[in-house]
Amino acid sequence: MEPKLEPIVETFKSREKHMCVKGEGLSIPVCDKASLPGTVTQRTCVYGGARIVLMPITDSIHLVHGPIGCAACTWDIRGSKSSREDLYKKGCSTDLGEKDIIFGGEKKLFETVIELRKLYNPGAIFVYATCVAGVIGDDIKAVCKKTEEVTGCRVIPVQSEGFQDHNKTKGHWIGCDALLDYVIGTREPEKTTPFDINVVGEFNVAGDFWGFKPLLEEVGVNIISTITGDSHVDEIAQAHRARLNIVQCQKSSNYLAKKMEKRYGIPSIKVNFFGLEQTVNSLREIADFFGDPEMIERTEKIIESGLAEVEHKTDEYRERLQGKTVALYVGGNKAWSLVRAFEELGMGVMMSGTKNGIREDYERIKEAVRDGTIIVDDANSTELARLLKKYRPNLLISGAKEKYIALKLGVPFCDFNHDRISAFAGFNGFVSFAKEVDASVSSPIFDLTSTSLRGD
Amino acid sequence: MSCVNLIEKERNAIINPLKTCQPLGAMYAVTGIRRAVPLVHGSQGCSTFVRYSLSRHFREPSEIAVTSLHEDAAVFGGRRNLIEGLQNVAIRLNPSLIGVITTCSSEIIGDDIIGFIKTAKKELAEKIGEEKTEKIKIVPINTPSFVETHLKGYDNAVKALIDHIAEPSEPNEKINIIPGMVNPGDIREIKHILGLMDIEGIVLTDISDPFDSPLRPSATELKPYYPKGGTTVEEIVDSANSTGTISLTKYAGSGAVSLEKKYNVPVELGPIPIGVQNTDQFLRNLKKLTGQDVTDDILDERGLLIDSMADLSSRYLHDRTVAIYGDPEITAGMARFVGELGMVPQLVLTGASNKEFVPDIGKVAKETGVEIDTMVGGDLRQMEVYLKDNPVDLLIGSSDGRLIAKEAEIPLVRIGFPVYDRVGYHRHPIVGYNGGIHLIDLITNTVLENYYEHQHWKLQQ
Repeated sequence: MEPKLEPIVETFKSREKHMCVKGEGLSIPVCDKASLPGTVTQRTCVYGGARIVLMPITDSIHLVHGPIGCAACTWDIRGSKSSREDLYKKGCSTDLGEKDIIFGGEKKLFETVIELRKLYNPGAIFVYATCVAGVIGDDIKAVCKKTEEVTGCRVIPVQSEGFQDHNKTKGHWIGCDALLDYVIGTREPEKTTPFDINVVGEFNVAGDFWGFKPLLEEVGVNIISTITGDSHVDEIAQAHRARLNIVQCQKSSNYLAKKMEKRYGIPSIKVNFFGLEQTVNSLREIADFFGDPEMIERTEKIIESGLAEVEHKTDEYRERLQGKTVALYVGGNKAWSLVRAFEELGMGVMMSGTKNGIREDYERIKEAVRDGTIIVDDANSTELARLLKKYRPNLLISGAKEKYIALKLGVPFCDFNHDRISAFAGFNGFVSFAKEVDASVSSPIFDLTSTSLRGD
Repeated sequence: MSCVNLIEKERNAIINPLKTCQPLGAMYAVTGIRRAVPLVHGSQGCSTFVRYSLSRHFREPSEIAVTSLHEDAAVFGGRRNLIEGLQNVAIRLNPSLIGVITTCSSEIIGDDIIGFIKTAKKELAEKIGEEKTEKIKIVPINTPSFVETHLKGYDNAVKALIDHIAEPSEPNEKINIIPGMVNPGDIREIKHILGLMDIEGIVLTDISDPFDSPLRPSATELKPYYPKGGTTVEEIVDSANSTGTISLTKYAGSGAVSLEKKYNVPVELGPIPIGVQNTDQFLRNLKKLTGQDVTDDILDERGLLIDSMADLSSRYLHDRTVAIYGDPEITAGMARFVGELGMVPQLVLTGASNKEFVPDIGKVAKETGVEIDTMVGGDLRQMEVYLKDNPVDLLIGSSDGRLIAKEAEIPLVRIGFPVYDRVGYHRHPIVGYNGGIHLIDLITNTVLENYYEHQHWKLQQ
């Protein structure tokens, strides 16, 4: 008989199997289930998922069709940087009121779209459906079609009713579907090259994309579009002509890459520009894909000089971080893509988890982490607090909601989410990453959290 | 000439909102109760995005549970989610109170919240016993997101808490304070004033510690995690026995009115004690309700505020024009205070649509003898457009106006909610005489930095 394993932390019976330890039993937690009602879930809604995928399109208006809160609590919270327009930062809402609930909100939506088009002449207007739009049955598609005819501006429906699934991933897919159905393939590039690519699933948070864009340009590929960081909608419209999709956030955007492969025959490779080794591997894979000897040679030189440039710049940090442990609790992609980067700093990942992981995500985590690593799915805030208290990592990597839970327990925290300030991707990004991780882990504050003033 | 010039918003679209929906206000209010859990009956985003907003402003954890409604609930109702959710909260978190906060979807679906709560209690009693079940207060709070704003949600929550919990017994000689949606620093300042007057208060509800709590890992309650402080359920029960209620905002005074109607607790509604005269009024109200005298210490604090106004206002602030935006009570209070400083409240803008607002601003206009432009139910785009033709010297409002300020090259003094691009603003009061001192320092330093520094002004000036 199998010995009964002690639960990883005390929790609901039904939640115990959402946590496991790699190497013991299956190494894949139960996942992709509805959260237990009445817990403080770290998840969000389907609308939130769609919004984070599309919001980095900078020349577009993102109009939320619902009561004011859905827009008010989410406008300009994505830390995606723009080198051009800042239209995407505006918080636009139809502000549905009681009358609209009773009589329907389609007329108001129609008028709002016309107004926004007049005011801003945007590249596109994305119209997001919220729970209310769904419940009252507004036909957003029809209004979008009609306003597009009237204005000549792209008006794109995003069917992202918040409650339609327990998993935000569904929202990512809906966001991707909006691009597939209404944008990609609607415009032809002026010229094409044999080395045309799309950078998929890169949202330019804190300017990450700018950390590896120059590397790609040096390699010699031609970037048709980024989907969606620092992008214009017309660029994404030409994405179907690329020879290759490179996918950075595999959580949100593999779906899009797979569909583009099916529809347009564009192959994709998974890349990861967090960490030196991963950056090197990603560049090599891109060059190998094209198989051009000059490109391959050029890439090796870029790698050589990139590594040389940062060679001793992280020594000081690595020395201090050696042997420290880190817990990752993130939306998805970073749960596996950051593991090697931390190992390069000499740190061990003792826990990795996601809020919205599906089975293939946990397969990836399992491959990335070492035996003995705790893997958690959809940990609510009580569980997260207990995990931190019981296993005491030297650092938690997560988002703004989790930050203060960790700090209150005296666990150092580093933001790897929307509120991040420094870009972490590419060779130089790794140095910033090391610096910021060190600033959290080695902060003198955490030596002061306990006091013997009262003999306790 | 002194009058109010109401500028209408001539479009449907809200662009850069100055308000959010009701549930946020209710989540804020329930967080101010000791060992209480806000339970949002809606989609996961309804709790998660609000938690994000609150954490970003207060830099504190924000523990809000949700029933996680999904598509099946939209079709068949959210009955099971709420009943199970209530039991999960009760069993796992052992709270003193659960505030059930509805959302747009649960309101439209028409869930029978009161009926579901009854069923949940029955099922719970079978699991943990009658006695334990009775100890957990469960309060239904209706906050349809498509009606009015976050402030209405706050008002509905405070009223629901009072209506469900307050019970008359013996008079207690305490004063109830409904603070409105203010910061921990404001509530601490109000408590400080009550202390100086030797008055015991019941704050309905007191977010000062829950949203500004110490980092003491050894003292942190883990089973489960609850922040320190907050109003106790017993205090809310006792609020029916108080000598009086002062709601610092008349825009969210339904709870106070309810206490008066049901239990004859006299009520004073507003104004928020921002600035000299509003704080004077607050003290008069306290005196009227309790009979306590205004102490020398308080007059000294008042004197310190007047002293700094005398030092600074005519020299640096006089006739400078200001645009103020935010919640109605706070903007109206700020307008009056800048008037007291000799500044001109040129534009006062609120996202709410309360009809009392325009007459309120009218009073300020009359008092200060200037013409005030005002916008009701407005958004930040309206202010942005206005400023192009009508520039001002200073903006006063939340961080959400930061990009407009930058673009228009007008300095911004941050007050209200949310403030996320500066630190400490939740900790310092803007109410009371001390709040006035803090504000005048903030305003004057901003003016010095932006209008004097480049002229190589000398310190002794």
